[in-house]
Amino acid sequence: MSVAAIGADGHDGVDQLYVETRELRLQGFLLFLVSDCVLFSSFIFAYLYLRNSGQGWPPPGIQRLDVGFAAWNSVVLFGSGATMHYALENFKHGNFIRYMWFLLATIVLGAGFLGGQAYEYNHLIFGEHVTWWGSGIFGASFFTLTGMHGMHVFFGVCYLTVLVLQSAAGVYTKGKYFGITAGTLYWHFVDVIWVVLFSIFYLI
Amino acid sequence: MAVAAVPAGGIAGHIHPEPQGFVRRYVFSLDHKIIGIQYIITAFVFMVLAGLLAEVIRTQLLNANGGFVAPDTYNEVYSVHGSAMVWLVIIPVLTGGFGNLVFPLQIGARDVAFPWLNMLSFWIFPVAGLMLFSSFLMGAPTAGWMEYPPVSLQGAAGTSMWAAAIFLVGVSSTMTGINFVVTILKMRAPGMTFTRMPLFVWGQFATAPLLMIATTALAAALAALFIERQFGVPFFDPTKGGSPVMWQHMFWFYSHPAVYIMILPAFGIISEVLPTFSRKPIFGYKLIAFSSMAIALAGFMVWAHHMFTSGLAPFLQIPFMIITFVIGVPTGIKIFSWTATLWRGKIHYTTAMLFAIGFVGLFTLGGITGIFLAAIPFDLHVHGTYFIVGHIHYVLVGGSLMGVFAGMYYWFPKMSGRLLNETLGKLHFWLFFIGFNGTFIPMHWLGMLGMPREVATYDPQFTFWNRFESFSSYLMTFAILIFFVNVLWSIRNGKRSGPNPWGARTLEWQIPSPPNYYNFKHIPTIYGLPYDFSQPLPYKGLEEELTDSPPPVAAGAH
Repeated sequence: MSVAAIGADGHDGVDQLYVETRELRLQGFLLFLVSDCVLFSSFIFAYLYLRNSGQGWPPPGIQRLDVGFAAWNSVVLFGSGATMHYALENFKHGNFIRYMWFLLATIVLGAGFLGGQAYEYNHLIFGEHVTWWGSGIFGASFFTLTGMHGMHVFFGVCYLTVLVLQSAAGVYTKGKYFGITAGTLYWHFVDVIWVVLFSIFYLI
Repeated sequence: MAVAAVPAGGIAGHIHPEPQGFVRRYVFSLDHKIIGIQYIITAFVFMVLAGLLAEVIRTQLLNANGGFVAPDTYNEVYSVHGSAMVWLVIIPVLTGGFGNLVFPLQIGARDVAFPWLNMLSFWIFPVAGLMLFSSFLMGAPTAGWMEYPPVSLQGAAGTSMWAAAIFLVGVSSTMTGINFVVTILKMRAPGMTFTRMPLFVWGQFATAPLLMIATTALAAALAALFIERQFGVPFFDPTKGGSPVMWQHMFWFYSHPAVYIMILPAFGIISEVLPTFSRKPIFGYKLIAFSSMAIALAGFMVWAHHMFTSGLAPFLQIPFMIITFVIGVPTGIKIFSWTATLWRGKIHYTTAMLFAIGFVGLFTLGGITGIFLAAIPFDLHVHGTYFIVGHIHYVLVGGSLMGVFAGMYYWFPKMSGRLLNETLGKLHFWLFFIGFNGTFIPMHWLGMLGMPREVATYDPQFTFWNRFESFSSYLMTFAILIFFVNVLWSIRNGKRSGPNPWGARTLEWQIPSPPNYYNFKHIPTIYGLPYDFSQPLPYKGLEEELTDSPPPVAAGAH
């Protein structure tokens, strides 16, 4: 009797020992992103909770955040999401050179976003004297959340740089490129988080 | 085309030979069974330490004016006792310990999905445990295991160490959760559909998402507490605009699911032990399986019932009360199913079975006091009293820990190839059962009379029952000592068990004890539920498991 005939629910990986297939890694990585999402959600909850427990937002003595600059910076980050998407697509279709160019563009845009954020932090800290620890719940929630997101972008840029070096060394082939998929998923995840952060800090 | 006809070497080029060095085999092992045993041993070591702290508490409370330790030390002792028992004992032993050890065998897998991640999860855990206990060197936390601000913001330096340690345990739990979810979703043997999975696997399957999701929420709360204490960034300090109640929300959003992390795997253990020793199919298989999932899901919606005295808006309190009552329904379904499993069964009173039956009784009592506490007016009366302490110990000791002991007596042969001594085991059970009830039953009425928890002295009118509790707790400690003697003696001198000493039917008992490092020579095919004791075993492809045929390692594999 074949496995299919008994309503099998078995999978390809079961006969292996200490071999992590692409399917397993993909699912594990997605679950990692879920738990990372909960981490952000908890801090977002904390921010909204604190924001609603005080008297008005921003708290007295603090300027509203500059939407214009942050909006341009967001465009840079979302642009990097698009280039990352095309990088993966080109790799899948065998256009290695275009893949590399798109990957490099993603890194440049990601680094550009970080530069923009550094400029904004600089302006807030030294221009408006808003600090992480000295500006009450505003500084605490803003710098913690955007800082956490910035760290994620930073790690992403580092990881994509490693991807460039690995790709140049020929680590990834047409049938075996989980590292690129993971990088793409991670990068999109960071983008989506930024959509939420931009909305709750700058728009509302 | 028979599945079992796949030649031993077939896909088995992927099966690496067993590592030979001691370090790779027993220390930095990738084998889920070894990692499970490592978890169990480490958790028991921490249990001894945290148990000694418990006896310090009980010795302090022998007299109404205390006097055994200074009040500040007493605060440190009960804070670390609670934290260690929750995060270093019960959660690791039930998930990383029994989970790792048993469920991959039960689903017919060769290992978990990410063996290397599994090893990493384990090795973070003892490091974090040592960090937690090292907080005594710099002034341990003094605000209880919940570490409510603002007290925890003012605590000694050890409070930050506490936050870092629990954060690390959380990282370890999250990785374990991810690993288990993927393993159960992707690594089941052919034919092992969801409705053919043993109930212990269902217990782990309900627990793993909680580990993965809830624990990260706690990580955020701990990170915020750490940042606030170390860098003065205000989250919880009300004088700087923060909110101490926010900590309670974040903490309980984790810690309420955490009580299900601590009980669902124990439910799974009980659901294996009861049918095996009643020689009867488990009653209501699907009900038990799905009620685990229902409890896991509803567990995310009830956290604020811990906060009825924290100034929550009344329109929020009522839904939390109602959903908390609702959780009693799936739990009740389980209790009734277990009782119905025993009904007219051919009951074998082994030690594992005694602990399982004890579990059903004691957990029911703990569950009923939980329903009391869900009712807001009653909760307002007993909040912060010994009633709460009694309730949590009924579910965590009478529930989870009894489950752990049932699992130890049941699966010890699978770990070691030897049985635990039954005479010592029964002595352990009865002394533990009597000592446990003597310790924790009086707490309920002391709490209703108004004896506050987490205080080093008490009103002299409570002296008699406190002494009664303390002496009962010494009896309980003595019983656990017997258990350790039993384990250490039986590892060398216990009766050899053979592969299946209990006549159990789940997959792990169909292979040698202890199993080979690759678990199965051939991955079996599953045709039905494991609990039908009147039927032949629903497995194919296990014929060679107990013979001397060679292991499925392809010649010349790496």
